[in-house]
Amino acid sequence: MVRLGEIFKRLRFRQVSALLALLLALPLGWKELTGFYAWLSPFILLNSIFGLKSVVFLNLAGLVVLVFVIVKKRWFCRKLCPVGLACDWASSFNSGKKNRIKKIPSIGKWLAIFSLAGAILGFPVFAVLDPTAIFNGFFGAFSHSSSLVVIISLAGFPVLLLIHLFVPGIWCTKLCPLGGLQDEVYRIKEFMVTQMKGDRKTASVSFGGRRLFLASGFGLVSGLFIPKLLKGETKPYFRPPGSVPKKYFDFLCVRCGSCIKTCPSSILIHHKDAEDAVSWMIPEISFEKGYCLEDCNLCSQVCPSGAITLFDTEAKGMLKIGLAEILPQNCLLTQNKECDRCKVACKYNAIKIDIHGPYDALPVINHDKCNGCGACFVICPAEAVRMKHLSSEL
Amino acid sequence: MKRRSFLTHALVAGSALTFGAGCIRKIEPAQTNERQADNPGNSPLSGASITEPARQIPILAETDVLVVGGGPAGVAAAIAASRAGAETYLVERYNHLGGLWTGGLVLPLLSTHAVDKNQQTKQVIHGLGGEMAKRLADMGMAIHEINPVVDPEAAKYVLDEMIRDAGVKMLYHTWGANVIMEGNELKGVFIESKSGRMAVLAKVVIDCTGDGDIFHWAGEQYDEMKYHIGLVHRLGNVDRIDKTKSGYVKMDIGGETPIQSVNWVNMHGEDNQDGVDMLNLSRLQMDYRRQVWENVQKIRQTPGHEEVFLLDTASQLGVRMSRIVDAEYKLTLEDTMTFRNFDDVIGISGAWTTMLYKGKKVRKRERPYWQIPLRSLIPKKTENLLVAGRCFSFERELVEDTRIIGTCLITGHGAGAAAGLAVRERQAVRNLDISKLRKLLVEQNVWLG
Ligand SMILES: Cc1cc2nc3c(=O)[nH]c(=O)nc-3n(C[C@H](O)[C@H](O)[C@H](O)COP(=O)(O)OP(=O)(O)OC[C@H]3O[C@@H](n4cnc5c(N)ncnc54)[C@H](O)[C@@H]3O)c2cc1C
Ligand code: SF4
Repeated sequence: MVRLGEIFKRLRFRQVSALLALLLALPLGWKELTGFYAWLSPFILLNSIFGLKSVVFLNLAGLVVLVFVIVKKRWFCRKLCPVGLACDWASSFNSGKKNRIKKIPSIGKWLAIFSLAGAILGFPVFAVLDPTAIFNGFFGAFSHSSSLVVIISLAGFPVLLLIHLFVPGIWCTKLCPLGGLQDEVYRIKEFMVTQMKGDRKTASVSFGGRRLFLASGFGLVSGLFIPKLLKGETKPYFRPPGSVPKKYFDFLCVRCGSCIKTCPSSILIHHKDAEDAVSWMIPEISFEKGYCLEDCNLCSQVCPSGAITLFDTEAKGMLKIGLAEILPQNCLLTQNKECDRCKVACKYNAIKIDIHGPYDALPVINHDKCNGCGACFVICPAEAVRMKHLSSEL
Repeated sequence: MKRRSFLTHALVAGSALTFGAGCIRKIEPAQTNERQADNPGNSPLSGASITEPARQIPILAETDVLVVGGGPAGVAAAIAASRAGAETYLVERYNHLGGLWTGGLVLPLLSTHAVDKNQQTKQVIHGLGGEMAKRLADMGMAIHEINPVVDPEAAKYVLDEMIRDAGVKMLYHTWGANVIMEGNELKGVFIESKSGRMAVLAKVVIDCTGDGDIFHWAGEQYDEMKYHIGLVHRLGNVDRIDKTKSGYVKMDIGGETPIQSVNWVNMHGEDNQDGVDMLNLSRLQMDYRRQVWENVQKIRQTPGHEEVFLLDTASQLGVRMSRIVDAEYKLTLEDTMTFRNFDDVIGISGAWTTMLYKGKKVRKRERPYWQIPLRSLIPKKTENLLVAGRCFSFERELVEDTRIIGTCLITGHGAGAAAGLAVRERQAVRNLDISKLRKLLVEQNVWLG
């Protein structure tokens, strides 16, 4: 026992934390806990709250961290951050030119403010730069077949480390929006303290307020204009049940890949429409391998950004992914073969076999009940079911 | 300066408060209580009844094993029991063996193959099922090696011969009419025929009626499954269709059979039908016969198809499912997807179609073979009773695999062997020595993995 205690004491908090983050980021079937570290990031938390004006239970984790971060300077960086640890480690290979970064302006806090301001209008522009998301996204990329997009999400983290071989320390001090956010919120405490002391002359509160003010202004403005700039004609694709509308999704989603990792049917893949770079790496449903299980809401449980709204499995019937459609010319019933697999597969009783007359049987799909789970598409032995996009997606 | 920076912070810190976080975000189900209206009962029974006077019933026989129902399961069960040394009676209400396979004109014997642990597709239906398929193939009366399609008359003939060779005592034109019980113990079955009501007493009864008539009468628990019911027919002269004729259009004329000029035509039929309601069956029978007739006329009127004719409609209405017994073990979809091993395995069946498992698609060519345990044939309550064929115990998700002819042949064979052994060893089927059963099955050529 004593030994264990000793070992525990010697382990540094951040190392243990990074190890835990690593474990939970791996696609190991953690279910609800998949990619849990993203929930601890106050940056994702605030983007999500500002964007959606609502919280979920797990946000408590982020809120607690937020309180710590306000009270203790860069608490997240020092105690929890796996990316910080990795960057420090990479930097340690380059001992010489630490002062090189002094000249570089710190843009992390601008990114943070810019994002949060945008978030108020639903467009947290730089939310994807959250380090926990980059970290989780890297491991998410292992769970599926490769594509250029997967390689990009795979690349984020190693590239970050690579940069540190040349410019040590740059991410945490200068670039990281989560780091920047921590610096900013810590000012709140300083501000309070000075206010309480009544010592109005203390310089500590003047910290480039004009620039930050501008950044938040820009964020707001870009939030206003982004929707208008986005092309309306990207190819529609199937998105997880409970997803917020596409234009918001593109920005809310932090590309952490947790949903992709956790999906038990393995139907979530990284979206990769060449025309639509804004939505690269966001989760897309492909019915190639399976369908969206009627009793599963894992993607909505693990989504730290709220891009996939938490939903009750009972509510799944009304969360439409798409719509199934029968192609009569392919259906085995038109050839009087033994089949009704689609009807049996449908968990929402949306499919009926209609008998129109002698030897004229055909499955009919009730589109009020169909939620586009894809079970009929997947099971149909004759490619007689097609998945249609919702008109709201077109 | 200060005001600006304060504003900035108000933005960062205050937005959460200003804009809310006022609500917990979760999509809940709408509170509607949608209930599907049940089919209104169409029973014409007035509620009035009459008491049948008690009477003495002659005992036709006291035998070792009695099999009721001569479908794929029943034939396999009777032959297996008889070959195991038991005196065996087989009761069939119609004039042929093979049940829906022959009399129902459902000609493809499906599920003969599946994938083994090394991802190799292999034949899994051996034993009596394999023997039947081989004999038919040798006669030129089965086509395709995997999932063979047979000629129904040839199959009836072969099954008769096999029953005769095995020394089974065959009772055609005889209905199983009720059970003879002593407490929970099944003692035999009342039968009904032109010769009147009689009793057959038996040490073990095997319910192969497809609809589970015996376990229903014995008061077992079961799941009622309403499914689609169809009427299959055959077309003759399909080799004389003249595709060159002007006005020719391709018509649906079903699938090929071993006889070149003959096709079989399946029928999906109406959904959600009660397969053990005589009035319903009568209505469907007449509706379907008319549909078949009219459809064939339509084909004959289509240029090029003039010589095609209706060879026959099936003599057994195609009741796919009706009752599923609650046995000591209910086979699950998971069992069939994971190479689940059972100590009391009685046989292995295969796969003929794609299935969904845990949200994932499992294609036919990837699907594992699956074991069937004896316990899924032993009803919970009644002693001396085994259930085989499409009404043994399984989860509904499995129905497409369990109701199929290949599986019925396997459960039939297993039940027959178990009954024969129980008689030989003077043991209850429930307490059977599993290792002996295994040995017997292997001797009888069943593949156990
Ligand atoms: C339209 C249709 C298409 C199908 N397509 C295929 C297919 O392509 N391939 C495939 O493998 N399977 C198919 N099936 C399923 C398969 O044919 C049946 O499930 C299988 O034959 C069942 O075998 P069984 O022995 O359990 O019962 P059955 O074949 O139903 O045999 C039961 C026998 O018991 C007799 N019987 C019933 N009650 C009594 C009683 N009280 N007294 C005396 N005798 C009784 C009946 O007359 C019958 O002969 C299809 C089924 C239908 C209806
Ligand atoms: S599963 Fe496909 S082929 Fe079968 S009934 Fe449905 S649509 Fe037709």
